[in-house]
Amino acid sequence: MVSIQIRGLEKRFGDVVALNQLDLDIQSGELFFLLGPSGCGKTTLLRSIAGFHLPDSGTIEFDQEDVTRIPPHLRETAMMFQSYALWPHLNVYRNVAFGLEERKVSKAETKERVEEALAMVKMEGLGNRKINQLSGGQQQRVALARALVVRPRCLMLDEPLSNLDAKLRIEMRSEIRRICKESGLTAIYVTHDQKEALSIADRLAILDGGNIAQVGTPEDVYRRPRSALVAGFIGETNLIKGEVAFISGANVYVKTAIGDLAGRPSDPDYPLEPGTPVTLSIRPECLSIETTPPARNEIAGHLTESIYLGEVAQYSLQAPGREEPFHISELNPRRIIRDTKQKLYASSKPEDVMILPFS
Amino acid sequence: MNRKLAIAIYIGTAIFFALFFVYPIWHTVKEAFVTTDGGITFAYVIEIFQNPVYVEGLVNSFYMGLFTTILSLVIALPLALLANTWNFKGREILNSLILIPLILPPFVGALGIKQLLGQAGVLNSFLIDLGLMNADAPYDWLGEGQLFGVVLMNALHLYPIAYLNVSAALANVDPAMEEAAENLGCHGLRRLLRITFPMIMPGMFAGATIIFIWSFTELGVPLIFDFSRVTSVQIFHGIKDLSGNPFPYALVVVLLVFTVMFYLLGKWLFGREIAASSGRASTGRSLRDASPVMNAICIGAFLFVTGLAVLPHFGVILLSASNQWYDSILPADFTLQHFEDALGHPLTLNSIGNSLKYASLATLTNVILGIAIAYVVVRTKLPGRQLLDAMAMLPLAVPGLVLAFGYLAMTREGQRFDFLILGENPILILVIAYAVRRLPYVVRAAAAGFQQTSVTLEEAAQNLGCPPLKALRKVTLPLIAANLIAGGLLAFSFAMLEVSDSLILAEQQQHFPITKAIYALVSSLGTGPNIASALGVWAMAFLAITIIGAGLILGKKMGALFRV
Repeated sequence: MVSIQIRGLEKRFGDVVALNQLDLDIQSGELFFLLGPSGCGKTTLLRSIAGFHLPDSGTIEFDQEDVTRIPPHLRETAMMFQSYALWPHLNVYRNVAFGLEERKVSKAETKERVEEALAMVKMEGLGNRKINQLSGGQQQRVALARALVVRPRCLMLDEPLSNLDAKLRIEMRSEIRRICKESGLTAIYVTHDQKEALSIADRLAILDGGNIAQVGTPEDVYRRPRSALVAGFIGETNLIKGEVAFISGANVYVKTAIGDLAGRPSDPDYPLEPGTPVTLSIRPECLSIETTPPARNEIAGHLTESIYLGEVAQYSLQAPGREEPFHISELNPRRIIRDTKQKLYASSKPEDVMILPFS
Repeated sequence: MNRKLAIAIYIGTAIFFALFFVYPIWHTVKEAFVTTDGGITFAYVIEIFQNPVYVEGLVNSFYMGLFTTILSLVIALPLALLANTWNFKGREILNSLILIPLILPPFVGALGIKQLLGQAGVLNSFLIDLGLMNADAPYDWLGEGQLFGVVLMNALHLYPIAYLNVSAALANVDPAMEEAAENLGCHGLRRLLRITFPMIMPGMFAGATIIFIWSFTELGVPLIFDFSRVTSVQIFHGIKDLSGNPFPYALVVVLLVFTVMFYLLGKWLFGREIAASSGRASTGRSLRDASPVMNAICIGAFLFVTGLAVLPHFGVILLSASNQWYDSILPADFTLQHFEDALGHPLTLNSIGNSLKYASLATLTNVILGIAIAYVVVRTKLPGRQLLDAMAMLPLAVPGLVLAFGYLAMTREGQRFDFLILGENPILILVIAYAVRRLPYVVRAAAAGFQQTSVTLEEAAQNLGCPPLKALRKVTLPLIAANLIAGGLLAFSFAMLEVSDSLILAEQQQHFPITKAIYALVSSLGTGPNIASALGVWAMAFLAITIIGAGLILGKKMGALFRV
């Protein structure tokens, strides 16, 4: 299993900058996610690592060995394609055996390894099936087996679950993690589904406009986003613009259109002083709704919407001086408030109010 | 649509096919097995296989079909691969130019080839000028039997069909299929053989089938080359003494049986349809930018093939503008007299008018039938509609010669359908013959249009109070107009070039279509061949305009028209 080092990677398609001087390190044996809105460059990055795009500048190293100019068929990566790309003229067995045949593995070993790989994805005994006799979930498993069987230096997964229904997606993502960990694979996984990333990634990178916006563990990225973009892309959040009023101990007080709010900088090294313009991020689940004014971080307003979902109640609270309502999620709600006339309050602990660079 | 109307269309089309497709074939088959006193005999067919002249004709026909198909694929496959891999300069234009030979009448081109490769032709004169050949003993390039010339001309005419099919098949391959192979270590030629070829095999087979059937029974080209030892020409010459002679019928039956056999064999070997996997394609096929060397290779290859294919017709243009052209590289002196003669000659002016008349009426019939059939097949749930679809495609699999022969037989004096020859005028039967043979292209084009146009658009119109037929006319037809025009143009240009039906069914000079007029002029003495060439040039000019129009409208989708 390789570690991957990417330095100054740049790729343009005409005038469009798909990757912009990008640096990234992926550890050996890591299940690493590339995440971002469509057009952010995540697929371009994956395909560059696999060798399908030749970068305009920069380098890609596998274990300190420069592979930037090595063509895809010699890179010994294995990609699982979004469309699966299973060859319809070959049956399941021949599809999976293909990479081993190319590697001149003996017949006997090929058979053994194909069967092992099919067993790993729970498709044992289905080698003689034709591709068009398989369900979507089965095709996905065969595609995974075909990639795994060659024991790649790095496994690449390009939105592997996007063609499956919701239930199967949840089941398969745990399967993928189990298999990657059992085989100790370095794997790069591209998705736009944040739940997939949060649930099984060791670490993830959020891409935006060909740049890496943030790299970290799922908890890191969710709890301490470094920008409004990351906060908004991973999970839901309320963003409030303001400027630093004063700093008192760990708390930073920020002056906003809806009153002063106390928060903590997301990055401890983020230089703040009175007057610095900032953006605050408060997750809906960090806000609680109250009928009486709270002691601190008071946000007052009227309800515009109440949704009861059983385990959670969702409120939209319109505060004067602000166009967008606040989104508030209350876990295990004992009652649901539907009165839109009554003045209500939302509040949050200062450690749940993230101070981010102004944007 | 109204179910009753759909059933009416179904029955109407079925009757049309029964009368003008099944019956003529049946009539021919019957004649081949029935003796003069009404008994059934296999003697005629057996006699075919015992007569060395007929056997040689069949073998030559098979070679003509096989070599033409192979040569067409050899020409088209590399070009299609280049055009689907590299983005080279002028790709769009070269992509259209490469199709031009399809609409250049091959038997006119054959005149040019004779001029170029004949013993007193351009190539020999050129070699003699260079001192590479003895002027007293010029080499005969077209050789004993002229098969080489016929195959070359056929392949240079038909390779666009292979090109369109292979291109369409390549465009349908999800690029991820090839990338997955690359990713697992399979590269270059190996990848081509292991992944790409198997995946485009059905498309390639579809094209090859049409080319084989077309060239296996080609009549015009061997006729111009005076190559009489092929079955098609033997049948043509047999017509002269049709009354009482059962052998032309028996030959037609043998030809038909072989065609069907080869088709089924090919389908069984190569044509198994491959269903794609359910995942959707991740990326469109993106072309790689060609390096300067690759640019030169691509442009060179395309220009070379196009040039080669157009060369015979260029020869025809020179021939039509020459006073004397014998034993020299270029004509000795030029004249426009033949073009004037061609327009002044009673035979030619008449024939242009006749061809336009026949082809337009046939095209109109095709478009109406095509819309009706495609609608029933795509938009209704009528049981047996697949059968209708298959029926509409059948004329592609039956040699034109066989049908032409059937029409001739069924409209002979005293036969049940002799009223179709109005007095002596073959217009009705020619229009029907042209229409039946070209119907598949128009049905395919219209069906593609219906499939691409969501039925909800029509339903929305009906929902707002528009009756079904009016909704079809106001909403769907305008949306599929491009498909209909392209299919119609193609049908029109092929009808203008039609050889078998025209040569066999038009018997009086004043009813000759262009092709028969050219054939008549070629065989006449004096400036006949020159005037024939001039007439050919006029015909080509007409066709160039129509096919370029079709290409512009349909673009890449044209490949869909040439599938069985």
